[in-house]
Amino acid sequence: MSTCHFALFDLQPAFVIDLEGLAARYRELARETHPDRFADAPAREQRQALERAAQLNDAYQTLKSPSRRALYLLSLGGRVLPLEATVQDPAFLLQQMELREELEELQDSADLAGVAAFKRRLKSAQAGLEQGFAACWDNGAEREQAERLARRMQFLDKLALEVRELEERLDD
Amino acid sequence: MFRGTPDTAKIMALLQIAEPGQSPQPHQRRLAVGIDLGTTNSLVAAVRSGRTAPLPDAQGRVILPSAVRYLADAIEVGHAAVAAAAGDPLNSIISVKRLMGRGLADVKQLGQQLPYRFAAGDSQMPFIETVQGPKSPVEVSADILRTLRERAEATLGGELVGAVITVPAYFDDAQRQATKDAARLAGLNVLRLLNEPTAAAVAYGLDKGAEGVIAIYDLGGGTFDISILRLSRGVFEVMATGGDSALGGDDFDHAIAGWIIEQAGISADLDPGAQRQLLQTACAAKEALTDAERVTVRHGDWSGELSRAQFDALIEPLLARSLKACRRAVRDAGIELDEVEAVVMVGGSTRVPRVRTAVGELFGRTPLTDIDPDEVVAIGAAIQADTLAGNKQGEELLLLDVIPLSLGLETMGGLMEKVIARNTTIPVARGQEFTTYKDGQTAMMIHVLQGERELVSDCRSLARFELRGIPPMVAGAAKIRVTFQVDADGLLGVTARELGSGVEASIQVKPSYGLSDEEIARMLQDSFAHAGDDKHARALREQQVEAERLLEAVQAALAVDGERLLDADERMVIDHEMQVLRERAAGSDTAAIEQQVRRLSQVTDAFAARRMDASVKAALAGRQLNEIEE
Repeated sequence: MSTCHFALFDLQPAFVIDLEGLAARYRELARETHPDRFADAPAREQRQALERAAQLNDAYQTLKSPSRRALYLLSLGGRVLPLEATVQDPAFLLQQMELREELEELQDSADLAGVAAFKRRLKSAQAGLEQGFAACWDNGAEREQAERLARRMQFLDKLALEVRELEERLDD
Repeated sequence: MFRGTPDTAKIMALLQIAEPGQSPQPHQRRLAVGIDLGTTNSLVAAVRSGRTAPLPDAQGRVILPSAVRYLADAIEVGHAAVAAAAGDPLNSIISVKRLMGRGLADVKQLGQQLPYRFAAGDSQMPFIETVQGPKSPVEVSADILRTLRERAEATLGGELVGAVITVPAYFDDAQRQATKDAARLAGLNVLRLLNEPTAAAVAYGLDKGAEGVIAIYDLGGGTFDISILRLSRGVFEVMATGGDSALGGDDFDHAIAGWIIEQAGISADLDPGAQRQLLQTACAAKEALTDAERVTVRHGDWSGELSRAQFDALIEPLLARSLKACRRAVRDAGIELDEVEAVVMVGGSTRVPRVRTAVGELFGRTPLTDIDPDEVVAIGAAIQADTLAGNKQGEELLLLDVIPLSLGLETMGGLMEKVIARNTTIPVARGQEFTTYKDGQTAMMIHVLQGERELVSDCRSLARFELRGIPPMVAGAAKIRVTFQVDADGLLGVTARELGSGVEASIQVKPSYGLSDEEIARMLQDSFAHAGDDKHARALREQQVEAERLLEAVQAALAVDGERLLDADERMVIDHEMQVLRERAAGSDTAAIEQQVRRLSQVTDAFAARRMDASVKAALAGRQLNEIEE
């Protein structure tokens, strides 16, 4: 199929990557592949340029986000991580429910400072997961734990989105 | 960021063949200009001896009001047309930019605010009836552009190689195409259409070497736009755009006018002439307060004093709205306010000192105001034009733009399923899989939508097409992949493909007229205002769909096996529960529907098991299912 996202940016598949370097390489490649440069080319080349540019954008968005990067790494082995699988992680799920309840309370009390503090905690939880994933990714034996952490990352992503929606509502 | 169309390429080639003398000699400067084609005012600017500046008319004025008056045997553009607008409203066209790329239906909605008589043309385009006959918005814009071209050629002393024309970041394809058409009519070769916020960033030289996130705060007469850009060595990455299309300096005038009415104790019910005069007084007071701490305001016999602090208080609610849009755009960009490293001020209304301090406080840094906010866009366009015309070495700017509104599909129950979220960098291609809803379904309607709301009826319909020839299968077995592709010009193409059989259908979404700024802003605002409602509505619709699906499945099974596998009592129970579900699904109690869906599933469990057994037995006996069914 298409080139591996990492190879596209001259990177080795890894969880810890140089994000600055990734962004710089993205801009370089965007300049090369942008359809603007193929304005006078035959239709076929224009279409190819469009496809390349779209693939580049997709690859960049995937690698830029830690949780999407983790999922992508796990999928590289050929096994696709089922998104909707039952999460065998009761302690984490319980914690998620508590966090969501907390968020609802923050909404009811319109507590902006509380939301900011919540965001900071969420960010540090995300950073913790990323470190954990990085540590067990290199160790093939810990594949199961890596999958668990990747799922947790997705949960926190969703929670972060909800925090943003809450901020939006409180701003109105 | 816009590709030269094949047409432009052709015109360039023709120019070179027809006029070989025009080809530039070495070191001879190729004349190119930047044009800010604004709603209220337009400007043309050029780089001359290394300095970029707007070009003045014979009277030394750089601003050309975007107004055109049609007389029986002449055309007036600019100040004269504005002066005549009150006396000859039907033939004096102002704010034509708001009509560009719009359909007659859209324009009729604006009709209240516009005094013109519209007529339908052959196309969807609205025509304005004037003494010179019907005029399209493209023609009116072309008359403004022609005036600017003539001014530039007279000032620069030669024919232009081309022009860079700026458009709002929100302009859709139809509006951009209309702008290009107007330029062609005016005899201008469009080197590039450039987004206004990008032009402002270029004017400040922010594309040179600087790296980081910048905000462009553009407060014009009637609209407000905020763009968050990341730039790095000449590459502009639009991270988010937003704004409020019903917010501008005119609202400041109205706020002062309201204050005068209150202070002077006059009736707010004024005739149009008095209204006009009051607003002019208010506007003059606003402008005076840019430098003065207080100003004496006179209206009729009344006179009073307005301090800057009072004025600041009057506009505070308006400012708050613009700041809210800024915070939203920053959130959309996925960054924090303090990560914005420079703030560029654009638009005449940013001269108001309180606007500057408020924006400075929000971002925690002093906004850039060195370049005249009315001229900054034209100056940026001129710099870009000079580069594109080949006068300057160096890398071209590259703009990585985003889509301003989410794109998606209608799914069961009138819900919008987003395929590409707003503020996604283009070009982009994304696919999603869908399945059939009914047994034996051979066609599927693909309904393409744009907007942020959950219900289809609240989104804008962009296109509909049908995927036919799906092999008949049981509901849910077909796999239909719908792919959205948005190109660098923001044009959307949609393809639907049944993965098993390979049947395919596609459509190029080409709106004859696109979404207006107002619509985009309204749709965004609505989506936030109704986020809660939408969730409930969505949950209800999902349960209703679930109910319909179950009822349909049970009905189909009953028709085939009801007689054979159920006794009368069993049949009665099922019929009864189905009836209850039908009634509940027609209501709006989500929980009650959900409960009844479970109930009906329970009472049909045994029936489903028996059907399964029967088909297994049939298969074992080597017979086809359809043989049993007969």
